[in-house]
Amino acid sequence: MADSMLSLKGIHKRFGNLEVLKGVDIEIGRGEVVCILGPSGSGKSTLLRCVNLLEPPEEGEIFVEGNDICKGPGSGTGEQSWELNFVRQRVGIVFQQFNLFSHKTALENVTLAQERVLGRSKAEARAKATELLERVGLGDQLGQYPETLSGGQQQRVAIARALAMEPHVMLFDEVTSALDPELVKEVLDTMRELAEEGMTMMVVTHEIGFAREVADRVIFMDGGVIVEEGPPAEVLENPKEERTKQFLGLVLDR
Amino acid sequence: MSQFFTQYFNFDVMGEHFGEVFVGFLQNLLVFAVAAVLALTWGLVLALLRQLPGKKLMPIRFVTIAYIDFFRAVPILIIILMISGGVPFLSFLPQEVRIPHWFGRPDPFWYGVAALVIVYGAFTAEVYRAGIEAVPKGQMEAARSLGMSHFQAMRHVVVPQGVTKIPAPMLNELISLLKDTTLISVIALSESVLVSREVLSERLNSSSLTLTAIFFVIIILPLARVVDKLIARQQLKITRGSHLEVA
Repeated sequence: MADSMLSLKGIHKRFGNLEVLKGVDIEIGRGEVVCILGPSGSGKSTLLRCVNLLEPPEEGEIFVEGNDICKGPGSGTGEQSWELNFVRQRVGIVFQQFNLFSHKTALENVTLAQERVLGRSKAEARAKATELLERVGLGDQLGQYPETLSGGQQQRVAIARALAMEPHVMLFDEVTSALDPELVKEVLDTMRELAEEGMTMMVVTHEIGFAREVADRVIFMDGGVIVEEGPPAEVLENPKEERTKQFLGLVLDR
Repeated sequence: MSQFFTQYFNFDVMGEHFGEVFVGFLQNLLVFAVAAVLALTWGLVLALLRQLPGKKLMPIRFVTIAYIDFFRAVPILIIILMISGGVPFLSFLPQEVRIPHWFGRPDPFWYGVAALVIVYGAFTAEVYRAGIEAVPKGQMEAARSLGMSHFQAMRHVVVPQGVTKIPAPMLNELISLLKDTTLISVIALSESVLVSREVLSERLNSSSLTLTAIFFVIIILPLARVVDKLIARQQLKITRGSHLEVA
């Protein structure tokens, strides 16, 4: 790939004796949207958390925009040996449980890290946050606390909060799984717009429809390895592997 | 029976010595105020040291835990006696630390404050810890993933939420602290218990101690009710918020 955004090579991750990732390689180009599917426990969420080093992998290499984010030898011996700041400034993540700061308003959720990490002034951070919250359709909810917002609204605030840091890649970790069905669409629409604007996205999801429509590529994972990958039309309509067929059969029959 | 009342509830004795005992009680309140501010600060520092991340900082966590365990186990009276009976002889310390007379307060005042802060720092650290650990892990992760340092995340995200969960247990610690200020009487700070005991030995009557007890009750009873209210409010919040936590 000419313009590599994210490159994972031989990623291994263990929790105690349990090996969750058993050597995963992924290449993601700039502007590409990759959806990762798979049954629970297949390691897809862990993979995302490896990419932004919330769970640094034990083995393997990660390149962000061509930069090796492992600081020399002793990779995986702990957080310290990774280029944390480099990663966190370029990679944004949105979580399944939103994780909005519950003591802060929607606006403050989006301004906090801008001021503390990027050193933006209050006015700048506020302007940026207002613009982003308007973009995700929450321009009238700036002063609301998370507990008074619906799940879908909270998740859109979380997306705005991540975007405020101007990441080059966005990771989405089952962001609609904790939502009531009628709220899923508003979040997916926001993500779709983001994809159309050219954001590089790595999306762990159970929303097959979203993957089919928005993804440039679909990756099916099971048991800590990639089973199959390719364009959505191929993987979703004509899967080659038995495991993929089984999984899609179960999901699509719902 | 009347002998019992004259021994413990002699209003003449109470009346005659009211002034001295009251001034003594003000000493208790002053020690409390200074020690409370310092202990709440020191406790937070200890709690934060205990939560430091990563393998490299393990020794700091270990020392902090050892400190907290040790000073929660040792009777405060021993600490008071060890400080007042030992620090003055540590000649490597400057004079004004060995025998402190800061802000016009006598040295027993400061030895007492020091002992209370050392011990209550350990207790309040545990209360802060409970609050910090009650904040969902996702809050720290979200803050870190936005690029905040561990310390920034603690300061702006975790601690502000954690402290809202602990006012009731913290107030209990403060009530204990107020009562334990009387222990400084053993190193001759003229606080209410010491004054009352002087009255006792002079008049052979315990009513001044009763008076002291009443002072404490008057201050502490309303605080105990506040604790009840805080706990009730917290319970309500938990019940009401339960469906939100799941969603």
